Order: sequence, then C-alpha cells, then structure tokens
Amino acid sequence: MSTVKLKNLVKRYGDVTVVHGIDLEVKSKEFVVLVGPSGCGKSTTLRMLAGLEEISGGEVSISDRVINDVAPKDRDIAMVFQNYALYPHLSVAENIAFGLRIRKVPKDEIKTIVADVAKVLELTPLLDRRPADLSGGQRQRVAMGRAIVRHPKVFLFDEPLSNLDAKLRTQMRAEIKQLHKRLGVTSIYVTHDQIEAMTLADRIVVMSDGRIEQVGTPMELFNTPKNTFVATFIGSPPMNLIEATAEVTDEGCYALFDGQRCLIPTLKELTHRDEIIFGIRPEYIEIEPSEGATEINVKIDLVETLGSEALLHCKFLGKQFVIKVETHGKVNNLENLSKLYFRQNAITVFDKTTTNAMMVN
Amino acid sequence: MQDTIQDTMPGVNDSSSMQNSILTKKLKWLVMHFKKEWQIYLMLAPTVIWFIVFLYKPMYGLQIAFKDYSIFKGITESPWVGLEHFYTLFENDQFIRAIKNTVMISGASLIFGFPVPIILALMFNEILNPKFKRTAQTIVYLPHFISAVIIAGIVITAFAPSTGVINLMLNAFGYDSVYFLIKPEWFRTIFVGTGIWQEAGFGSIVFLAAVSGVNPSLYESAVVDGATRFQMMYKITLPCILPTILIMLIIRIGNILEVGFEMIIMLYQPATYQTADVISTFIYRQGLQAAQYDMAAAAGLFNAVIAFLLVITANTISKRVSNTSLW
Repeated sequence: MSTVKLKNLVKRYGDVTVVHGIDLEVKSKEFVVLVGPSGCGKSTTLRMLAGLEEISGGEVSISDRVINDVAPKDRDIAMVFQNYALYPHLSVAENIAFGLRIRKVPKDEIKTIVADVAKVLELTPLLDRRPADLSGGQRQRVAMGRAIVRHPKVFLFDEPLSNLDAKLRTQMRAEIKQLHKRLGVTSIYVTHDQIEAMTLADRIVVMSDGRIEQVGTPMELFNTPKNTFVATFIGSPPMNLIEATAEVTDEGCYALFDGQRCLIPTLKELTHRDEIIFGIRPEYIEIEPSEGATEINVKIDLVETLGSEALLHCKFLGKQFVIKVETHGKVNNLENLSKLYFRQNAITVFDKTTTNAMMVN
Repeated sequence: MQDTIQDTMPGVNDSSSMQNSILTKKLKWLVMHFKKEWQIYLMLAPTVIWFIVFLYKPMYGLQIAFKDYSIFKGITESPWVGLEHFYTLFENDQFIRAIKNTVMISGASLIFGFPVPIILALMFNEILNPKFKRTAQTIVYLPHFISAVIIAGIVITAFAPSTGVINLMLNAFGYDSVYFLIKPEWFRTIFVGTGIWQEAGFGSIVFLAAVSGVNPSLYESAVVDGATRFQMMYKITLPCILPTILIMLIIRIGNILEVGFEMIIMLYQPATYQTADVISTFIYRQGLQAAQYDMAAAAGLFNAVIAFLLVITANTISKRVSNTSLW
C-alpha cells in the first residue's frame, strides 16, 4: 500500500506564497496527474514531495509515514525529470545502475536488474551507448529505467514528455501508461498538457495559482467542470462560454442573450434575472436541428480540417466560438453553415460572480 | 599558337571564364559581407593588429637564429651559418641547465598548480552562503591583479631572513632562520608556491564557469538516488567538467616551457642560478645583456618548436582518449 497524502501543503519563497495549502490523497497504484498552466505550483508540489524543495507548511506522507523531514533518498521515491537528467559521461547501463551503485548493491545483482529493466524498456541493444548517441524517446526510456530499477513506492514524473516532438510524445504516453499498468506503482505526474493528463490519468488534479481547482477522473472534469477555469483548461478546443441572464419560468430555465432564448438545465440555485455564464463544449454543439434544441444564427469565419473532424470558428456575441464536428471524410458546405443547435443537457451553467458551476436539480 | 590551343581545347576558355566569374562572385560576397558586418571586424581589428605586430612580424627576425647576426649589417645582410648556434647552445652547460630547470619548474607547476584551481572551483561550488562565497572568491582572485613586482616584493619580504614572517614563525617554533632566497634547493618550491598563490584563484574562474554549466537536474536526480555531496562532486561535477579540464591542460602543456620570466628575474640571483635559471632568463641574458641576439633567437626558436610539438602531442592524445581537443 503506497498511498500519498498531502495535508494543507504550503510553499513560500520569502513573502510570496506559491502553494496555498493543498490537500490531496493519492490511492495506492493510482496514476494521478497534476495539470495546470505555467507557474500554478504543480512542479513545486511535486518537488516538495520528492524532497527537492523545503516544505513551508503542512504535511506530506507516503504510506501513512510523514516524510517532511526525511531525506529524498529515504522517501522511497523515484523521479523522472523533464530533461531526463542522464549523466552524459555514463553509458545507458551505467545510468540505469547509478542509483543502485550509490546504494552499494552487489555488482552481480546490479547487472541482473539492469538487464531486466533494459528488456522491459527495450533498451538492451543500447546499453553500451552514451546519452548523446540516443534519440529523445530512447533517452526518455533510459530516464524511466533509472526510476524503475529501484522498485520505488512512488514514481514522480516532472513533465517528462515536454522535450519530445508530438509524434514521439503520443508514443511515449502510451508506453508510460502500459508501464504503469504492468508495474502498478503509485504515480504522480506533472504536466501542463491537458491531453497528456486526460490520456494518462486515473484522476486529474487541476491547479491554478497554487490552489487545487478540481480533482476528478478525466471524464468528470470534462463533463462536469467545477468552474470556468477547469471548463476552459480541460478539453481541446476549450468549452465555449456565453454571458447571459437567467429566466426562470414554470416551464423551465432559460438563458437570455442577444435577444435569443436558450433552454438550459433546471437549477435549484438559479433565480430569475441572475447573471450567468453558460458553457457548451465544441463537441456538443449540433449542426442539425433536433427536438428541444435552441437554434442560434452564426456566420462561420474559418474551417479547420483535422481529417475525421473539423473545427468551425465563428464570432458569437463578440467572442470566439468554436464548434467541433465530425466530417465523415467530407467538409463540403461547412463554411456555409448559418445555424447551430444547443441541446439543454449539453449546457453547463456557471455563476457569473463566483465562476463556479451550478448544480443540476 | 594561342588560337591553336584554344581551337583544339575549347574547354580552356570556358573554364577560365568560369573561374573568373566565381572569383568575382566571391569578391562581391566578401564586399557585401564586410559592409554588413563591419562592426564585428572593427572589434576584432585590435587583436588581429596585435597578433600581426607582436607575433607574426617578429617571425621575420627568426632567421637570425641561422645567421651570424650583426646589428650593423642587419637581418638580410648578415651571413648564414646554418645550425651553428644550435650546436653552440647544446654544448653550453648553462643552456642545458636552463632547459632542465624550465622543465622541472614547469612540471612542478603543472603537477601541483594545475589541480588547485579545479579543487578551488569545486570547493566554491559547495559553499552555500553567498556572502561567504563572494568574500572567499575575492580573496583568492586578488593576487592575480597585483603586479609581479609587488608579488616579488611580498615574497622577498615574507622570506627575509630576520624580519620575514616565515622566519619569524620558524624562530617562534625554535628553529633557526633560513636564507630561503639564496638557497638553490628552496627556489623552485618558493617560485611554484608563489605562482599557485597568485594564479590559482583566477584560474578557478574557468572551471567555476564549467561547473555552473552542469545541468542542475543531474544533482537533483542524484539526491533522489541517495548520492552524498562528495559522491556528486566526483561522480557528476568532475566528469562533466572534464572536457574543460583537458582543454586547459593542453593549453598549459603548450606553455610548459614558458616559465614566468619577470618573477624569476626578480626573485633569482647568481646564488640560485643553479635551480632558477630558465630558458627565458637565459635568452634575456644572452640577448640583451651579452648582445648575442642570434644565439638568443636560436634558443627562443628551440623553445617555440618544443612548445608547438607538445601542444600537438597533448591535443592528439586528448582527442584519442576523450574526444576533447582544441581543434
């Protein structure tokens, strides 16, 4: 059981607080991704967990043992760094064995362990090479090898794929996921790339300004974002947000904007004339009419073709509005679309003042 | 005749006109390049001029090493004597002694002096308190900025038999005063020690720069792996700065026959010639004091050729062993 608990974790640099009391519990064998924009404190949180940054306040525990004052080497963690942190003067085998040699593991044992790890990561033919002679993906695998060779309780990944090109990133993402499935080690992964977060995580922790905005499974965050920050951060393209005024009637709730009336979910906390933001994901906007859907008039400015899908860009109420449609291989006439349809159950309503999502009845 | 050749070899005309057009193109490119980048060349000019005036132009005078040079006849009019001066030099015990002293002093400087800046850089890198680090660095850099005359004055004063701090300390421990600067057996130690004290701090800047270029995540990764600071020093820092160490070593080997001339002149005296007279002081005495310019030029040329060969050898070895080289 390798659970990780962060209790009211704080990090201050002088008078500046960069992590404001984070509470998080990572279950054993879980893959948790910390995601957020640059400077949101995700890497700092991970580094506090690794022991590379001093903890200004709160508590970190691994397997119910508080490790605030435990040296990094005794925390039973392994970390994969953004720039791989491979020793340029050592071969792949020596790099993988570095941690074991430091811990004075017998040479024969090191040899066997390194060979096993190299086999798992398909590095066997590269064991004698230096990092400079490896491709980005191979270096990343060596970095992972260095981490897994020690059989730690927890893996920490600090943006390990951000130095790779898009194609390799996709491939390595899958390899990391498979490796986690195979090893079943509790993993905490930091990234600013929400696609990486969505594809890898059992649970995602969205952070902003040193605080946790929302914790949940990828689909929870996608479908029920807690606030507009999460709504716009998770999902690509992000959720479209429209400012409106609420109209609560006996037949249901409506959002009024630009002389239009759109049926929105019935919300108990909504009162008549409330200022709201209603959001709809680009994927949930329809281009064909359906029963109960609200029709809006738009003029498509740009069509971006992605193959099986296309992104339609238009201006709506002075803001950029994006619609994602399936093309089925054809993009004819998409630029001539003039009407879009919002279905009631595809809409998320946020309080304009707090930007928090309102609960559906 | 010209026409006949051109008739029978039609390619001759074509190729010469092609060469002309390539030359014109290159010239045009050069003019454009100078017009565009003249500021960079202007900044480079002082160094180039310095090299031409003080290093390349004097090479013309090297020929006097093979001539019976007379200042009245000049360089070109003086008669050639072949390698006569070199034979004379190698028959001269003083020159052989100077070579031996040069090699011994340089060798000692290299063996004892070369590692000191590296050790200093590694130590500075380990100092966490920035104030202490700055102070320590200033203290060790300072001697470099003091002129050789003052350094020699400090050494002479420190080793003075009756009032020197070293002898006072010896006296305090019950030992007799030692006339260090007139004892040949002490000269090399004092000279090498002074050189280390004067230059080690400043020399550490290059290594400190190399140390600061080491990727910090290598250390973080090692910390997570459980490496101690000492292990990080010899398993990460040293191997990472090895290319810089090798480059500095090659340069140092190239200068192995260039012992600090001013400092020797100021510290040595006839009593210590036995261990203190080096090639540069020998050249100075032969050339300027005895006015044997041709002999001094021969000694200087010998010095330069050996230094050149040493650099080539060191560079080749370094290239083969560690893939690090000057060129």
